[in-house]
Amino acid sequence: MRIVGLVVVAACSAPQSSPVPIHFLHTFAPAETELVNKTIADRGLAVEASLVPFARGQQVIREILRAGHACPDLIRIDATWLPGLVADNLLAEPPASLAALDWSPEAAQLATIGGALWGVPQTIDGLVVVRDAGTPAPASPSIDDLVAAARAQTGKLAHPLGVRVDAYWLVPWLRAEGAELAPDRIAGGGAARGLADFAALFGQLAPSPPPLGSEAPDELRRWNAHEVAYWVTGPWQLGNLAGRDAIAVTPLAHAPRGGQLLVVPRCAERAADGWHLAEELTSIDVELIFSDAFATVPTRRAALAHATPLALAIAGALAGAEMLPRSPITPLLFDDLNPALAAVVAGDATADEAIEGVRRGWARLAGQR
Amino acid sequence: MTKPTLRWRVLVVLVLAAVLPTVVVGVLAILRARHDVEDEVKRGALAHIRALGLALDDTLQDARRTVELAAAQWADAPDDTRGTQLLLRRLRRDVPIVQSLSIVDPHGALRFGDPVPGVDVDSHSFGGYIGDAVFAGGRPTVHLVVQARGRTGELMGVMVASLDLGFVREILLGARLGTGARLIVVDGTGVPVATSDLLPASPTSLAGKDPAVDRALASTVEGTLSADGVVSAYRNLSSYQSLRGVRWAILHQQPERDAYALARTTTRDTLVIGAVALALALALGAFFATRLTRPLADLARRADAIAAGQIAEGKPIHGPGEIGTLAQSVDEMAKRIAERTELQSALARGDRLASVGVMSAQVAHEINNPLTTVLGYAKFLLEDKPEGHADRSALELIAEEAERMKKIIGGLLEYARAPRPSEPILGSAGAGTSLPETVVRHVGALVAPQLRRARAQLVTTVTATAPIAIEAHALQQVLVNLVQNAAQALVDGGTITVSASPAPGGVATILKVADDGPGIVPADRGKVFDPFYTTKAPGTGTGLGLAVCKHLVATAGGSIEVGDGPNGRGAEFRVVIPNAS
Repeated sequence: MRIVGLVVVAACSAPQSSPVPIHFLHTFAPAETELVNKTIADRGLAVEASLVPFARGQQVIREILRAGHACPDLIRIDATWLPGLVADNLLAEPPASLAALDWSPEAAQLATIGGALWGVPQTIDGLVVVRDAGTPAPASPSIDDLVAAARAQTGKLAHPLGVRVDAYWLVPWLRAEGAELAPDRIAGGGAARGLADFAALFGQLAPSPPPLGSEAPDELRRWNAHEVAYWVTGPWQLGNLAGRDAIAVTPLAHAPRGGQLLVVPRCAERAADGWHLAEELTSIDVELIFSDAFATVPTRRAALAHATPLALAIAGALAGAEMLPRSPITPLLFDDLNPALAAVVAGDATADEAIEGVRRGWARLAGQR
Repeated sequence: MTKPTLRWRVLVVLVLAAVLPTVVVGVLAILRARHDVEDEVKRGALAHIRALGLALDDTLQDARRTVELAAAQWADAPDDTRGTQLLLRRLRRDVPIVQSLSIVDPHGALRFGDPVPGVDVDSHSFGGYIGDAVFAGGRPTVHLVVQARGRTGELMGVMVASLDLGFVREILLGARLGTGARLIVVDGTGVPVATSDLLPASPTSLAGKDPAVDRALASTVEGTLSADGVVSAYRNLSSYQSLRGVRWAILHQQPERDAYALARTTTRDTLVIGAVALALALALGAFFATRLTRPLADLARRADAIAAGQIAEGKPIHGPGEIGTLAQSVDEMAKRIAERTELQSALARGDRLASVGVMSAQVAHEINNPLTTVLGYAKFLLEDKPEGHADRSALELIAEEAERMKKIIGGLLEYARAPRPSEPILGSAGAGTSLPETVVRHVGALVAPQLRRARAQLVTTVTATAPIAIEAHALQQVLVNLVQNAAQALVDGGTITVSASPAPGGVATILKVADDGPGIVPADRGKVFDPFYTTKAPGTGTGLGLAVCKHLVATAGGSIEVGDGPNGRGAEFRVVIPNAS
């Protein structure tokens, strides 16, 4: 009895110690954030997570990492931000044990710069063509066959094709004309033709663009209302669909492929804990939970083997997609290409005028870097 | 240990069946209500910060849109210096939260306005942004960076505005808050931008110090958190995919004791009212349990009394429904048991009397022979004595008494045989006189010695003249017994009255024997006719006299009863004999 009393006294008088939380900066969408928070809580991990709006993610993260103050232990970034962060020597390399995991080739490519792995691939995404299972598939993944298939649906549905006034969606059309999202491959007539062809879709096959910032809900509404026959979109939208079993996924030629990575900055105070959290968030069961909930493509081979048919179809469609150029300025190029695309779609400028402006802007950016 | 009474059992059942479920359900309801009220508090706080957050964001986004419009206007004529300066002046005038404005070219060189330190114009993405809060001269400000693009979308420059976040504090101060509540707006790093209290804004981050701030920054939407005695509602105002994403969050924090004061008061009041209601219910239950069980308890006592042989009819027991029926049944049962007991007593008494009869018959048979001899010799001696001889009257008395004894013995023999109540014996008297008159007069002579010893005076009154349905010797025996008893009761002398009068209607004759002695107490009056019952000293009475009287009268179809004497003194035996038809 006396021993029990001593134990109780000792327990009561012992200082309260709680684990130091891992600082996790992320760009997850709202629904993903809820699931991430739940996953972290279920696993009893002490994590202090902080959301960074995706649109400002690169800027905020670079500012924080450059300042080195309140440095996070783990960050979730878009794969296009990786070259810039690596070039600025802001990231730590993952431990060999993590690098040696069964990443799929596409996933490993996302995280690799200069032959080295710089992070843990979390999801793979990109543009695919989604249609109702009863709608005929395009003859081939080419843009011409997609547009032809959409034209064949004219009159049957309000809008045969669903595309967004966004430079990311423009990339396949640029590539089809020999151009690329790179300062040195935008000049010439190919880029202008691609831009003109893409801009011409709006009002003919594709619905007029909604107000800026409301593209995603507008697309979902139109799809659920069966207004669109062929929808060019990414897995980030498909997790929200009802009746996911009734849709079919086909590849789109020259489509961009990207994804999300988990990286640990050099300034992280608890890098090992950061990598541990990254490993937890890319464990087989967590990847499958996310894949099931959001139709994301798992990055681990073992997880991909057990993924849902929809996730597997997306993975198959993205297998032939091409990554955006691995340049530090690639994400900044959208700043010029997006307004140019909007100007052409709005009829404020010709494709040639717009591409010329883009060329000057990209040359300036390349020169600044 | 005594067994609990029915009343307590009913109360226990009441507690188990009604009070306990009521308490359990009540407590659950109270907990549920408290939970609901607490949820309402949280919902109210969330609705409050949602509205405030919307107002904050609207103010900021209005400023952004205005600056964007101005930037687009400028981009169409970027070299118009005069027009640009006019535009900047109008912006400062029309957008009050704009503190400073500048325009830089795509290379970052300042072209118009004031320099804005700390703004990285070349690392922007997706068109422009509103940066995190900075504290310029102690005032929280935020930098708005807007790309100025021309008609074709080409970047002509960047418009940078410093926005004074003082309006946030004004909005927070204007909010109506509950006791102890405060509002706080933090930027993406957890630094308070403004609070609703009067504390000065501090650039110290609350991240890692306030769990609600951590939760707000980690969330993409809104939620609540109770920690360290404070209930917090938070809403992340950051826009995930917005091109104009702002990193900040708003929190409503209130001590739990204040936030849930209404819930606590409601709980306390409900508990008090519930306890009072429960106490009243229990009191009422106890009252009705008592009322309900009292007849049952009375019945139980009655049953115990019956079991103990006290069958005497008690106060009627009344009760509702089945209990009343049960009480009636018990009363009925008690009556039947009493009747059966009476019957059994009568049977037992009959057995005793039968035994006495057999014995009397044997004794009478043995006495009858010597008595015959006595009577024979008395008559033989009378034949030898001439009329007027001095011994003759004594011999005649011997002979008469012997004769009467033979008749008594004969009566005993008759009593011992099966009764024949349906065949009353008709008595007769001599010519010119009634039987009662004859017998009464004869009794006086018979009991004269006893009357003398008791110094008693016998007064006779005979008005009845109708023949009566009883034999003379039986009537004589009845009257002799009654007069002898009266004489024995008169210790210091007195008067014995014998009367015979016709009953009303002329169907019977009433004979009364009364004395002015001590009388018979009411408790003994029902028992004086029982065989062998006597109040006389041991050895002085057999207890058979009045029993024989009752037997003889009953055999004649009459009745005998005892009551108080005339004027309430002494005793009076009243014998009713049917007149002979």
